[in-house]
Amino acid sequence: MQPEQPSPPENSEAADGVDETALAGVMRTVPLGAAILAGSAVALLVAGYLLIYILVFIPRGTVG
Amino acid sequence: MSDTHPEIHERWILKTELLWSFGVGVFIAAALGMILFTALTISVNPPSNVERIDPKGLHLSGEFAEHNLGTTVTDGSVTVRAIATQFMFLPRCIAVPANRRVTLRFASPDVIHGLLITGTNVNTMVVPGFVAQVHTEFTRTGDLLMPCHEYCGLGHSEMWATVQVLPDDQFKPGPDGRISCAQR
Repeated sequence: MQPEQPSPPENSEAADGVDETALAGVMRTVPLGAAILAGSAVALLVAGYLLIYILVFIPRGTVG
Repeated sequence: MSDTHPEIHERWILKTELLWSFGVGVFIAAALGMILFTALTISVNPPSNVERIDPKGLHLSGEFAEHNLGTTVTDGSVTVRAIATQFMFLPRCIAVPANRRVTLRFASPDVIHGLLITGTNVNTMVVPGFVAQVHTEFTRTGDLLMPCHEYCGLGHSEMWATVQVLPDDQFKPGPDGRISCAQR
């Protein structure tokens, strides 16, 4: 006698309750948000580097 | 989008990554360009003097013998010679002029020391067997602290000296071209 196998859901959308159209819409905007977040973080880091270099390091005089 | 047009999605990712790489490339080029520009125009370089000296006879004869230590003005150029030893700098006070190029030369007879001068970019290691040399120009007058910044033993925290930056009218070397803090 064969053990009873669970049958796969006929409709995966119905199984996880996620609307595929809404998911596609979210996936269009999420990478853009990640790029903006990463860009802002790197821009802040670069701005900090430039400010310290120009306002602190250079006025401290030459060295070599 | 990812489900319906995977190729468009892949292209979009590639475009974003290329744009990011371009931005990073521009920043690296700008940072290197700035370092190169300041190196060529106002001589901002890491100290890179490689000059050997025998640490065993340092105090007996030669450039770092006791009578040679301190600030010397020869033909208008200012040179400071000092020894970093456990646990003091010799001399303990160094007089230098403001707004003139100064050559600082340090040597150690015992262990590795290091020094920085507060409020300036002077920062170097002093390794036994080598002369540490830094060129600089002090832009502010006053007393600056020069501590040892490389742990050199139990008395490390007590190892510091003073750099006295004097304005032009107070920087008056004697007939032998030497000047010390006491002559102020």
